[in-house]
Amino acid sequence: MAAGFKTAEPLEYHRSFLKENCRPDGRELGEFRATTLNIGSISTADGSALVKIGNTTVICGIKAELATPPTDAPNKGYIVPNVDLPPLCSSRFRPGPPGEQAQAASQFIADLIDSANIIQREDLCIESGKLSWVLYCDIMCLDYDGNLLDACVIALLAALENAQLPEVTINKETELAEVNPQKLHPLNVTKHPVGSSFAVFDNTIVIVDPTAEEESLSTATITVVTDEDERLCALHKPGGSGLSAEKLQDCISRAVTRHREVRKLIEEVLKSIKPQQ
Amino acid sequence: MKETPLSNCERQFLLKAIEEKKRLDGRQTYDYRNIKITFGTDYGCCIVDIGKTRVLAQVSCELVAPKDSRPTEGILFFNLELSSMASPAFESNRQSELLVKLNRLLERCLRNSKCIDTESLCVVAGEKVWQIRVDIHVLNHDGNIMDAASIAAITALSHFRRPDVGIQGEEVTVYALEERDPIPLSVYHMPICVSFSFFQQGTYLLVDPCEREERVMDGLLVIAMNKHREICCIQSSGGIMLLKEQVLRCSKIASVKVTEITELINKALENDRKVRKDGGKFGFAESMPKERITALKTEVAPVEMTDIEEKAKEIICRTEAPSEVVSSPVVCAPGTGQVGEGLQNSWGLEEVDALEDDVGEEREEQDMREQLEEESRNAEKGDVVVISDSEEEDVVILHEGTQVKHVKKQSVDSQQLAPSTAKRRRRRKKQVI
Amino acid sequence: MHNARNAMEVESSSTCALREFGCEQSLLSRPDGSSSFIQGDTSVLAGVYGPADVKVSKEIHDRATLEVLIQPKVGMSGVRERAQEQCVRETCEAALLSSLHPRSSLSLVLQIIHDDGSLLSCCLNAACMALMDAGLPMGCLFCGVTCAIDRDGRIVTDPTMQQEKESRALMTFAIDSTERKVLMSTTKGSFSVNELQQCIAVSQRASEKIFQFYRDSVRRRYSKTL
Repeated sequence: MAAGFKTAEPLEYHRSFLKENCRPDGRELGEFRATTLNIGSISTADGSALVKIGNTTVICGIKAELATPPTDAPNKGYIVPNVDLPPLCSSRFRPGPPGEQAQAASQFIADLIDSANIIQREDLCIESGKLSWVLYCDIMCLDYDGNLLDACVIALLAALENAQLPEVTINKETELAEVNPQKLHPLNVTKHPVGSSFAVFDNTIVIVDPTAEEESLSTATITVVTDEDERLCALHKPGGSGLSAEKLQDCISRAVTRHREVRKLIEEVLKSIKPQQ
Repeated sequence: MKETPLSNCERQFLLKAIEEKKRLDGRQTYDYRNIKITFGTDYGCCIVDIGKTRVLAQVSCELVAPKDSRPTEGILFFNLELSSMASPAFESNRQSELLVKLNRLLERCLRNSKCIDTESLCVVAGEKVWQIRVDIHVLNHDGNIMDAASIAAITALSHFRRPDVGIQGEEVTVYALEERDPIPLSVYHMPICVSFSFFQQGTYLLVDPCEREERVMDGLLVIAMNKHREICCIQSSGGIMLLKEQVLRCSKIASVKVTEITELINKALENDRKVRKDGGKFGFAESMPKERITALKTEVAPVEMTDIEEKAKEIICRTEAPSEVVSSPVVCAPGTGQVGEGLQNSWGLEEVDALEDDVGEEREEQDMREQLEEESRNAEKGDVVVISDSEEEDVVILHEGTQVKHVKKQSVDSQQLAPSTAKRRRRRKKQVI
Repeated sequence: MHNARNAMEVESSSTCALREFGCEQSLLSRPDGSSSFIQGDTSVLAGVYGPADVKVSKEIHDRATLEVLIQPKVGMSGVRERAQEQCVRETCEAALLSSLHPRSSLSLVLQIIHDDGSLLSCCLNAACMALMDAGLPMGCLFCGVTCAIDRDGRIVTDPTMQQEKESRALMTFAIDSTERKVLMSTTKGSFSVNELQQCIAVSQRASEKIFQFYRDSVRRRYSKTL
């Protein structure tokens, strides 16, 4: 019976739960799904992490390559993020060139790296005007069940913290780069932003960490990204129903708590793999 | 979106009118509609209106490596776009037949006529040359796109200025506009396209056809000419046979039209130059028609900022402060941790078998994949030892009661698949042991 | 000219200002609704087609399908434009009563004419004016406001390109006309919660000016009956 109701009137179904301040999966309105983090999942990548928020699964691999720095900024390296939503992760995505959501997510991650200053691009330069690192941060969604951006941000951050780059020196005589794969250095991750996503139901009710179904039924979504100094790195609300400043403030407040939680998780997991190396 | 089809009576009406030497907008056979040229704030940017047809052109430049066949010549690149704003029938980013035809004609008219001195665009022979790119966007399609595009392109090219470069040894420095005055391109001559449409197998002829006329015409003849009466390009399309006399007559008309248009372009360029020199206001904002009632302009508007800070503080104070206490993560295995007690996912779950029943084809596929992976894993068995065997229990006990929750969850939500990862890891371990 | 304006704005920064606005509606003959919106030197042209027939693959059974295209002046549209398109589309969807035109398509094309800062807000304003011109039913109007926070922590509304480059944070909001709520928000750079709330408050104030401008231009437009 319930299943029929859910299929026939999905919005009404969700409303009846929200009226009682809970959600169909048993969560409270302000409750995140369990977040699982695995760091170092891809042994061939320079850094990697796999994140699950509920069923949403996102994997991030970091590949570092050498390149000449951009001519307009000779003392900087590049960070090239890309978010891929393959048909594998949900039936809503079709094969072929990336869709709007994937492109918007890629742009969001690229903007975030810039805004939050996760890595100083100057740190990626090996020799000014000659050689610098390019970090390809490929983020792929394996299972899409809502709240993609949060998962992407955690995966990216954890993968960057996990990344180890070999030492590179430039031979004075031959002017060629010499890579020493024995000496590995971690990246200097300066800021640790973590995102929290919200969905708005019926223009009023704000819920945390929406699932794919909740996302599609909601009237708006918001992603708030904060860093460890409680500064905001992004307040991303791509349209949808309006929210008052007070409601936004509530979201920010929740995001700060979430930041502490996830930050702790990443630290603990990183600590657990440290002694082995 | 589809183009609204032209009804038969409309078609007949148009043709009848043309036979009677009348045009819908009251023009004579050889008349052009009003041509208006406005410049933007940037160099090399202009909008050209021919009647209601409107085209935007922007010239940009970039330092690139030259073509191998011409190491001392700069590159000219044209890109005409039929924006879906111009007509509902146009689709952006699609190579339609019309688009290809227009682009090709534009290239022949402007690049092949060598109206721009490409050799002066060379910076370091064989290494660095300027690539001049002309982007033309059709904003409103009311016929005769080609003429509008060619006027816009040559006007923009004449208006454009590229940054100055300095060469010291091997270093090439590009000076910003503030450092050194930018340099105009050297334009040898200005080829301009004039379109003639033919009706009734070439019996009737019209200059500058509007969109309606284009839809009923039999053929089109485009002549590109400069003011020295040199023909740069000539193209007839639509499959009509023209007599020699007709073509000659057209070229005579074209020479008159081209002289007029060239004069107009030069006057517009001169005006813009004068305004810029005198420090007056220029750009599209200035060319907005103020007398029309559909247009309105306001002055700089101040925004009150007095009690902004109080308001912001009030909102922040009224909101609950974020809680300091957060749940601690559980590290289930080295490299894997979990936080939150909400909806559990099925990682680290022992009872995968319980799910086996309610999975269909996907599971089979997964099994296949797993088998494959298992095989490959067997091959490299030695490297797999990642997880110590002691954490077998650790994985399972997350919190007390989680187990119960899992089981409940599964019975409620039959769709939730245990990701194969859990299973895989288990198998992996068995092999290790 | 640019320098003169910049100098003026820095002096009067305690009360920040919006640059001069201009708007022309119905300037293109082909689209069902069109507008050109000018903020200082930033200029965007918008055209709307619809409601019209929709491709079966894009059909939504209970409302109209809205497509937004943003076309840069040079080159092809890329990932950045796609992200902006998403913002504009979802803002328009919130304002439009698209359930009144089920199974039909609306398409909005935005052509960037000149970018001198606050581009996204100019796109939003042009979009709103074009939707109005097309006579599409809307539950509320919306406007875009861009705020920059400069190195000294001062808020600059409607920044020029130069001011955007010099800023340490940049935010664009879409504000609705009925309750002054935030419909859309996108930010660059990092900033404190207090700064954000101040910027929202400033944007809400600035939106009054823009809505007044909307009202004035519509009043002027219908001042003569034909």
